[in-house]
Amino acid sequence: MAWRFLLAAVLGGICYLDRTAAFQVMLHRPLVVASVMGAVFGNFAAGAQVGAVLELLYIARLPVGASIPPDDTGAAVFGGAAAAAASSSIGLDSGSFTSILLLSVLCAESGKFADRFVRRINGRIAHLTVEQMERGDSLAVEHAMMAGIMLFAVLGMALTLLFSGLGISVARFLLPRFGPESHVQFAALLPALPLLGAASVFSCSRTDRTAPVFYLTMGCVFAATFFFRWVG
Amino acid sequence: MGGIPLRVRRKVWFRQFLLQGCWNYEGMQNVGFAYSILPALRDRYEGRPEELSRGLKRHLEFFNTHPAMAAVILGAAIRLEERVAAGKADPRAVGTFKVGLMGSLGAIGDSFFWGALKPMASAAGAILALVHPLLGIATLLFLYNSSHLALRFRGFAAGMEGEESAVRFLKDAGFTGRTEDRKMIAAILGGAYAGVVVSRTAHMFGGAWLDLGVFLAAALAVHLFTVLFRKAVSPSEVLFLLLIIGTLILWQ
Repeated sequence: MAWRFLLAAVLGGICYLDRTAAFQVMLHRPLVVASVMGAVFGNFAAGAQVGAVLELLYIARLPVGASIPPDDTGAAVFGGAAAAAASSSIGLDSGSFTSILLLSVLCAESGKFADRFVRRINGRIAHLTVEQMERGDSLAVEHAMMAGIMLFAVLGMALTLLFSGLGISVARFLLPRFGPESHVQFAALLPALPLLGAASVFSCSRTDRTAPVFYLTMGCVFAATFFFRWVG
Repeated sequence: MGGIPLRVRRKVWFRQFLLQGCWNYEGMQNVGFAYSILPALRDRYEGRPEELSRGLKRHLEFFNTHPAMAAVILGAAIRLEERVAAGKADPRAVGTFKVGLMGSLGAIGDSFFWGALKPMASAAGAILALVHPLLGIATLLFLYNSSHLALRFRGFAAGMEGEESAVRFLKDAGFTGRTEDRKMIAAILGGAYAGVVVSRTAHMFGGAWLDLGVFLAAALAVHLFTVLFRKAVSPSEVLFLLLIIGTLILWQ
């Protein structure tokens, strides 16, 4: 198990770097992260299932200016690890799936504080860089960049270890405490979550032209599936 | 003195991916910008350490824009620094140019990348992940990065041709139209995703009237969530509420 956590920390660190500090090539998106975590902890498909729902949940919160959106990478680390662990113990039924998705919001919100903390430390690094520049040290900028990148990477690795550990613990110790009936009751909330994701996409893309198109497509897809079920 | 050598341009281009490596509340992307442009400054001010230091300090002032759009400013700033080093331009012109462009490019980039391209790529990825997870991941990464990397490449090249070329590139890129198009595709994909979810839920109940009821309830739920988002309620707050409801269900 230790090597799995080690691998998760390295991969999670890379994904967290992609989130703010480097690349921004979408390796930090929940669909990617949860699938990776699922694969590391033994079930790629279970992780991807959670990632597909998480992918859209927070998309309405944009990282504009100094605002920090919820840490959906952290939520995906938790969700992917928990889904993989649950599928190999109690099974990933709708109730467990729903509870994993809902509990991941705690990681998404706590990740924001960690991000804010690093950005404050970076403020001190930037201040020191200017001071060193005044003294004529032209390497100061490169040193500052290394320090900033290291800080983001170490934070990413630490958060990955924390959230994946939490995910595994929830799947192994918390979810089995509830009986099958509770799982069925909890599953009643499941349809609300992808709809929340669809609403997030809609609120991002909402203009006078797109509003009718969204509802029309929703109706057409629903009618088409209804028709094919009715026919066959 | 000739132009900036290709290996230096390449170095700067790769360094732009670390623009936010030392993101902070005071200067935001200032350290990242200085780090990115450093190879070009070293090339221009070779053997002139004091001027190099002054050049670097110019770029340690506040800077913030969308990271992908910074490529245009970076290219044009190098061209300006070239003229400053040759004594053909006032050093203050570099700061003025950066400040003049970073706000508007930030707004355009946020609207295009975060408000249109990312939702579109994410919705496509989430839908295709239902077919196969790898297909979903590949679609998400391809849809986003084909535009993202192309803009970083072409924007940097346009900037390197000079400030006028950079502005012309931004005008010709037609971001308003592209943003509208991608928003439309995102709305279609979002609607399709919601339709799939509703039909899966309705399938559990059975019966035509119940199916219709489930569809109307789902459409109402989406509308309600959208209204809540417009009133600055975050998705996390909605999820917290659902978590509390779930806990209460279990408590009973």
